[in-house]
Amino acid sequence: MRKFLTSLWCCLLLLSGELLAQTRTISGKVTDANGNPVPNASVIVKGTRVGTVTNTDGGYSLNIPPGAKTLVISSINLQTEEVKIGPANEYSLALKAMDASLDEVVVVGYNTIAKRSLTGSVSKVNGDVVANKPVTSFDQALTGKAAGVLVNTSSGLVGDDVIIRIRGGASISSGSSPLIVLDGVPITQGDQGQLYNHNNPLAELNPNDIESVEVLKDASAAAIYGSRGSAGVLLITTKKGKAGQSTLNYDNFFGFNEAARKMKVLNASDYITTVNKLRSNAGLSPGANYGDINSDGKLDTVNTDWQKELSRKGMVQNHNLALSGGSQRTTYFASLNYNDVQSYIENTEQKRGAVRLNIASRVTDWLQIGANTQFSRTQTSGLGSGTGNALSGIPFGPLTAMPNIPVYGADGKYYAGLGGNLATGYNVPNPEAVTHLNYDNRDGRRFIGSAFGEAQLIRGLKFKSQVNVDYATGLTDQFWNPDIGDGLGFGLKQKVYNERNTWSWYNTLNYNRQIGADHELNALAGTEYTRRTSSYTYTYGAGIKDPDLLLISADNYDEVGGENGIDGIDDGLASYFGSINYGFKKKYLATFNFRADADSRFGPKNRWGYFPSGSIAWRVTQEDFMSQFSFVNDLKLRASYGVTGNSDIGYFPAISTYKPASYADIGVLTMANPGNSNLRWERHKTFDIGIDAVIFKNTSFTIEYYNRKTIDLILDNPVLATLGFPGNIIKDNVGEMRSRGVELTVNTAVIHTRDFQWNVNFNTAWNNTKVIATNANNDQVFDKDPAATFSLAKPGYNLGVFYLVRWSRVNPANGFPIFLDVNGNEKQYNMNNRTWSFVKDGTNTTAIGAADRVVLKDKSPYPKFYGGLSQTFNYRAFDANIDLQYAFGFYLYNQTKQTIMNYGNTRNKSEDILGAWTKAGDNTDVPVLYWNSNLWSTQASSRWLERADFVRIRNVQIGYTLPRSITDKFKASKLRFYVQANNLYTFTGYSGIDPESNSIGNTNIGLGIDRTRPYLARSYTVGLNFGL
Amino acid sequence: MRHIIYVFLATAVLMSACQKKVTDDIKPQDLLSSDVVFSTPQKIENAVLAGYDALQSPEFLSGRVLIYVDLLGEDIFDRTGYFTELPRFNLTSNSGIAYNVWTAGYFAIATANRNLAGIAANSSKLTTAKAKELTAECKFIRAVANFYLVNFFAQPYVYTADASHPGIPLITQGFTSNDPAANTPKSSVAAVYTAVITDLTDALADLPLEYTGTSNDAYHDKTRGTKASAASLLSRVYLYKGDYANAKKYASDVISGTYGAFSLNSTVDAAYTSNGGEYITDEGIWSIPNNVNDNPNTNNALPMHYYPTGRGDLAISPSYLSTTTNPYFAIDDKRRTLIITGTTSQTSSYKFTRKYTDITGRADWAPIIRYAEILLTYAEAQARLASGVDADAVAKLNLVRDRAKGLSPSYTVLSFANKDALIAAILGERRIELAFEGHRFWDIMRVKGTVTNKYDSDGTTILPAEPFGAKKNVFPIPQLEVDKSKGVLVQNDDY
Repeated sequence: MRKFLTSLWCCLLLLSGELLAQTRTISGKVTDANGNPVPNASVIVKGTRVGTVTNTDGGYSLNIPPGAKTLVISSINLQTEEVKIGPANEYSLALKAMDASLDEVVVVGYNTIAKRSLTGSVSKVNGDVVANKPVTSFDQALTGKAAGVLVNTSSGLVGDDVIIRIRGGASISSGSSPLIVLDGVPITQGDQGQLYNHNNPLAELNPNDIESVEVLKDASAAAIYGSRGSAGVLLITTKKGKAGQSTLNYDNFFGFNEAARKMKVLNASDYITTVNKLRSNAGLSPGANYGDINSDGKLDTVNTDWQKELSRKGMVQNHNLALSGGSQRTTYFASLNYNDVQSYIENTEQKRGAVRLNIASRVTDWLQIGANTQFSRTQTSGLGSGTGNALSGIPFGPLTAMPNIPVYGADGKYYAGLGGNLATGYNVPNPEAVTHLNYDNRDGRRFIGSAFGEAQLIRGLKFKSQVNVDYATGLTDQFWNPDIGDGLGFGLKQKVYNERNTWSWYNTLNYNRQIGADHELNALAGTEYTRRTSSYTYTYGAGIKDPDLLLISADNYDEVGGENGIDGIDDGLASYFGSINYGFKKKYLATFNFRADADSRFGPKNRWGYFPSGSIAWRVTQEDFMSQFSFVNDLKLRASYGVTGNSDIGYFPAISTYKPASYADIGVLTMANPGNSNLRWERHKTFDIGIDAVIFKNTSFTIEYYNRKTIDLILDNPVLATLGFPGNIIKDNVGEMRSRGVELTVNTAVIHTRDFQWNVNFNTAWNNTKVIATNANNDQVFDKDPAATFSLAKPGYNLGVFYLVRWSRVNPANGFPIFLDVNGNEKQYNMNNRTWSFVKDGTNTTAIGAADRVVLKDKSPYPKFYGGLSQTFNYRAFDANIDLQYAFGFYLYNQTKQTIMNYGNTRNKSEDILGAWTKAGDNTDVPVLYWNSNLWSTQASSRWLERADFVRIRNVQIGYTLPRSITDKFKASKLRFYVQANNLYTFTGYSGIDPESNSIGNTNIGLGIDRTRPYLARSYTVGLNFGL
Repeated sequence: MRHIIYVFLATAVLMSACQKKVTDDIKPQDLLSSDVVFSTPQKIENAVLAGYDALQSPEFLSGRVLIYVDLLGEDIFDRTGYFTELPRFNLTSNSGIAYNVWTAGYFAIATANRNLAGIAANSSKLTTAKAKELTAECKFIRAVANFYLVNFFAQPYVYTADASHPGIPLITQGFTSNDPAANTPKSSVAAVYTAVITDLTDALADLPLEYTGTSNDAYHDKTRGTKASAASLLSRVYLYKGDYANAKKYASDVISGTYGAFSLNSTVDAAYTSNGGEYITDEGIWSIPNNVNDNPNTNNALPMHYYPTGRGDLAISPSYLSTTTNPYFAIDDKRRTLIITGTTSQTSSYKFTRKYTDITGRADWAPIIRYAEILLTYAEAQARLASGVDADAVAKLNLVRDRAKGLSPSYTVLSFANKDALIAAILGERRIELAFEGHRFWDIMRVKGTVTNKYDSDGTTILPAEPFGAKKNVFPIPQLEVDKSKGVLVQNDDY
């Protein structure tokens, strides 16, 4: 009996144990790092098939089998976590985002690769960084987001250039902009403006469609793009649908923008005093006074702030609707976007409507097909009178218009007179009038699409074929009224229709195989053919008869005409490429890339360029000895070397060509380009070494060093005039450059508690780009733009180093300006007798002039250090982020200031002129007021060169997400409200328009010239993110 | 398996077609490859005509060059300081003015040289007569450019007895690549003049009397090289050289009608105002044409610089207006009707010429050779060659003067005390008649004169006298070019 009882007890015990185990249910909630619930996360008992997925609240409940020891919880884009099962029945946890990990996947050209296996230098920027920002194009939102990527917004005018430089300038005469590839489509970039305004075609893309932007920086990464890789590559991946996750998101923001800065010019009373002082000091009659505007016989005291008159609070708004989802077989992503940015400058605006449809379908087990398409229409209202130094443009007009004349005359019409002023050197038409009466509008349409098929031929071997199109058109419609300004007396209507078309077709074979436990192999071979074309049609009508009828017809204009032609692009590229990634024990990694490109623009014998690269990496943390350093979660050392080319070489640079021209009425054929049949690829050899590490689980950093040598530069070689070539230039493979630098990126979670998280992303880059050689003579090379001769490329100096006459000081004894001649002697200009003399002994000498220019070593427009600091904060339902951008160690030529410090005209002046020398002993840098000192006051000199270091609060955002308990009531998954300020404040000592000012456009030598382009905009917006 | 092979074969064929389509098949549509430029007679002729287009450069004969020659003289002053130190003979070695003239001149020479080579290599495509004619046009163009360049960048022919002083590099090869042969040292002024005279003499032989079969023959006759323009230019070259016999000979041939009929218009301004500034009257021998679509634009056009409602940079100097400093310019001379007062607030205190008035279209032609010059060249050469006061010289002088004079009587032989007085009158007449047409400074220099009574940009200060032989009477060789030549090209003295 006792034995029986014992047995029974044992059985019961076992049974109860069994029963106990079988009935045990655990539950919990899965959230992300921000505390938001993670639906559809998989919760699996490790080593079994027992599992479930979380519900919309992130909650789960799971019966676990006996012996279950560990739960594996995973979700897309989040780090997989394992949890030990103990006695407790509730296991809630927050999954960290993938960002701080090396496990994410990155796109590298025609392939994707796990970040841990990466051997090249790639920075990844997530799409949320560019989404919902009140910027006119997504590239602006990349500012300060990736180490070594300099993004410079030239001005606040909608459509103006955004210059992207990855690791400094890549060339002297050829392009330095990175290749931009959107879902495999190489897309058109660069200024598309046809008449008086610039146009940035990247504004035609919807930033909210972007899933991620990968920046390929070194040769290992970029060499797969061969001849187009030298300035780096931006790979944009758009959002795709995910199987089983249907979402509908609506995002919007509303707000306004205003000028972020304002240069101060004289008010009416100071203006009158100053102009008259300038004149009386020179023995001339007064030049400025109030005028009798309303003809009542009395002078009218007018004080017009033209800058204020032309400014407004411009409304901005954005609406984005995105639908995403799919079944196991077919996924889709569709979006609809409307974006409207009214500039703070009156009459300027950019409106974009965009639709996208991305669809992919697994037709059979072995075949997947899909298409990614977008169409957008972008209407830009620009200034008919332009910007820069255009007399009626903005900000030249409002900065220089006389402040003592009114906007409107007594008749209520725009005032076109001069009041009581002289017109000496004054030819500024009423800026308010020309801004409202003239226009230069553009209507751009753009289709970017690709279609692909991917077939699994055998296990591990895939064949993919994709065709791509980027078709962009623009209709520019410009008008000058016949009553005031540029069109005075005749009136002009111009229309330009232009097209850019790129098609390409690529095919890849990709073999991906794990061989045994130790060998990972990924091999890719491919072909690609790319064709780019362009055209324009131009018509004009001058001498308008009835200004209410604007269509260009011979009936309504005295003169009509037009032409059509190629718009500077007509080329093709045939490419064959291959890539091998090999990993041994996930520890030793090697990549080899190769690409052969044939470009139609080179002569047949030099057409082919071969671009190899190789890289290796060692994941140190996979080594056993690293186990003792448990705080090091991941450590990878990598090095790469490779060759890339530069295909941004212009229009038929190699062949010798003639073009039609005229000898007045007689048609002729004249040399267009001497050509150079020996012209071959510019080559960039880059060495890169880097460390990627994750320490203390939540801090990742990357530090790397690179050295890029550019040889065989396709230089606009300045040759002897006796050769008789147009512009005295022949394209030659001469010259050499070197760009080197160090980049550091740190991502860290400073504080990570349940209620409060603080994440920091910091990046910084040091870069130095030096010209080693130009041609056989080592001649100095100027920018192609004749307005940019303040700087040059000269062997031994940094690219774009400034080349100016040196300003010395104002002589405190007499107020005369003093410059240094080429030998460093002080020469002063005596305005009274208009002679130059040496300061040291007073003897007369020759005038300061161009021969006194010197290279100002270390003063270039390229920053020595630049980068960004982004911080995000989460506190319960609140979130905040603040992005800083900074750049140090660079200079700008403040030509705007120079323009409004002119002593020889009756235009308005900078307030700085009030500090002019008046009596012996005055220490100032503004010479004595003395009319008509053309000889020195317009002299380009280092007087206008300013250090432009700055730190900018680029973006500040504060958001509040409604709790689930509330959003559940209307079955929403997310509702967040936020306020945002963009370009909030800039800390800088720079006194011009903006430390990012650039008036020359996308160039290498002539950057950093601040010549009257509009202030950047500052925006304030409120918005919401709503998700179903 | 077979299907897969077929698929790959088809793909390979398609790829090879694609490769061709994106490489070999792409040719420029708006440019002609240089190897087809000399493929047909019409294309060859159009290429040759590009030489004139090069001379028409805004920095060269259609604008600036004429201005510089006058601005170095005393008849005008640079009211706005636009031309910086040029009027003060104080250009710097990296002067943009010098660089642009040098570049434009050598581009014209290079164009002519390349075309000469192109004609020679493709002569089978042309009739012998046409090949000769086009060759002559190229040589004419080359001679014009060399003549202007040597006068800007070197001292006058008469600076040394045998003109052995440095001139400019003589380029006779048509370069199509970065050829080291382009790096040539300066030839002597004598050698350059010889080259110019040889080219012009060759051109004179083969140039047509007049053009036929063009869309507008009269237009071509006045704007392309003809026998008359070659002979006229030869007379000027010989005059500058001091070879008066030859100067007279070629002027005489033009006057006698050997090369076509030329005559003065009845009024002093018809040459400039007829046909809206096109100089197609019998007074014009050779001009550089402009039209509304093809002109030196707002910063370089003659009317922009000279006319008060344009830029109006160039005002007429008091020394030209005064009968003291310009003694042959009588107060009632009809050429004073070509002088107007400025109309804007900035220009109203100054005088301007109305030889070039087309501010809106900027289509005024640039007068290079007018019949009046040939008459005055003949008169001067004849006067200098004769022993006393020569009646023939006086007669030719009268042809020019009588059209413009007021109440004063025509000259007779008795009007002049001696030969020198006659020569002085002819030179004085030349100054008045050819004013603002690009002659003055060189007319002073070729007779070893001194520039006096020259006004600074304020129109009141008189600049120091500039004597013959002063180092800075010539432009600097562009320093960029000197540097690029690595010592082959020597900078002019004092720069």
